Amino acid sequence: MSIGGLTKHFGGLIAVEDLGLDLFPGEILALIGPNGAGKTTTFNLIAGVFRPTAGSIALGGARIEGLPVHRIAAMGLMRTFQHNMPFAGMSLTDNILVGCHTHCRGSLFDILLGRRGFRDQEAAARHRAAELVSFVGLQDCLDRDVATLSFGEGRLLELARALAGEPRVILLDEPAAGLTQPEMARLGAAIRDIAARGIAVLLIEHDMHFLLPLAQRIIVMNFGRKIAEGAPDEIVRDPDVIEAYLGEAVGGVAMRPSDA
Amino acid sequence: MRGTRNALASLVAIFAASALAFWLGGYATDVYRKMLIWVALALSYNFLFGIAGQVTFSHFAFAGIGAYAIVILAHKLALPFAVAFILAIVLCAVLAFIVALPSTRLEGFYLALATLAFSQLVLVVISEGGDLTGGTGGIANYRLPSVLGYAIRGPWYTILLVLLVAFTLWTLRRLDDSVFGRACRAIRDNSVAAAAMGVDVRRIKVLAFTLTSTLAGLAGIAYAYIDNVINPPVFGLENIFLLLFMIIIGGAGSHIGAIVGAVFLYLAPFVLEPIVGHGFLLVFGVLVVLTILFQPSGLAGLLNRRSVRVAT
Repeated sequence: MSIGGLTKHFGGLIAVEDLGLDLFPGEILALIGPNGAGKTTTFNLIAGVFRPTAGSIALGGARIEGLPVHRIAAMGLMRTFQHNMPFAGMSLTDNILVGCHTHCRGSLFDILLGRRGFRDQEAAARHRAAELVSFVGLQDCLDRDVATLSFGEGRLLELARALAGEPRVILLDEPAAGLTQPEMARLGAAIRDIAARGIAVLLIEHDMHFLLPLAQRIIVMNFGRKIAEGAPDEIVRDPDVIEAYLGEAVGGVAMRPSDA
Repeated sequence: MRGTRNALASLVAIFAASALAFWLGGYATDVYRKMLIWVALALSYNFLFGIAGQVTFSHFAFAGIGAYAIVILAHKLALPFAVAFILAIVLCAVLAFIVALPSTRLEGFYLALATLAFSQLVLVVISEGGDLTGGTGGIANYRLPSVLGYAIRGPWYTILLVLLVAFTLWTLRRLDDSVFGRACRAIRDNSVAAAAMGVDVRRIKVLAFTLTSTLAGLAGIAYAYIDNVINPPVFGLENIFLLLFMIIIGGAGSHIGAIVGAVFLYLAPFVLEPIVGHGFLLVFGVLVVLTILFQPSGLAGLLNRRSVRVAT
């Protein structure tokens, strides 16, 4: 994925200004910065929720800026949300199967007549959903009402749902927020695993203890602009970044920011 | 194995519901037939309201379009019945599609208002349609023509209505258990997340509205030959609220709930009216409020809980 000159104005407010970014298959790239820096707006621009004021977004060579959300998802860009958004009236498996939506192609007549190819797709989707349930470790929650999942379990469900679409790029908005230490460890391992499969991961995160060992590259935003980009150990030593976001850095280890 | 058992259970149910037709007397047959129409309408409305999450008030309007279209085409314009039947279905589908295009951009209250306006418009057209629609008196004195020399009369027409319900249920369950049904429920629960998963929200909404409204039109066509009379009030607002009550009390989103709710609320007045007169509407109102407050999954939820207890 390649982004150039991405700009978004809301009336007089500049949310994102001239942001450039390249993301490669199998890479874990993090977007950090203080609240209001434009991180989630950037996600919404990439995913098609907002139309950019200017700039280009390309996914595997095809321009996607300005396309509707569902088209961008169908092209292989899936996301999780900052606040969990499960389909509360559906079973856990059905939640994940919605993620497979773009891989179940067929008209209403195919569905009604139960055509062969369509039945095979459905079986493949169910197989994949079952695999993903074990991948994120939710097999014990299969019969539970999705609305009763803990915050951390809901996070893992969102991840499984996004992966179900077999994305080329996955956007994770604060995946570790609100998780317990063991859940965080499980999530970190899962994200590494996802990247190892060749999926490009772009994540927003505030928790530096979680992020620094995970990300291969970090982009720091402030007031809608990119103020730094580099490997984690460069970023934590960058004086601009320390001033804008990290605050005090002791011996190269960033302290957890107060607003996380 | 499970599929075979379901198919067998369905066949037994269709057979039992059909056998009833030979056993019922004249008045009971009339009640039974109208109950079957209510069940068919409740099933399709449940898909639209309970599964696709669209609060609409046009379901009876489409039943009315179906009923008036078949009677006008087959009897006033004297087209061959098969042609009239196909044209009536196509008319329902096309009108539903046209209504869906702008109104599925709306949500909640505004969708309800837009479809309410359409419903009123249909009522005005059929009430003021002059000779063509028979005005407020409606149309009478027509008969279902013989098909290939067979006249479908008496219990056989009742069986046709049983098959209508079976067809409606089969269609809706098949769609519900597929990628289409999941997309509908996902949009109902969270349309933003559904779109992010690649669901074309507008397309699915338009399809769900068009399909269920066409099924309502089909039920309307079947209704037209029960009394061989159609008139405007049947397709008015009072019935759409009753339909909504049926779904809520039965359990929104559940096919069984729609059937149970429709049977229960359709038959209840026959028991209640001798006791409380027209006060049964008040009883319904109280029931709806109680259901929403204490049993949101409706009667279907109660049935489920029972079966879970039996299983454990």
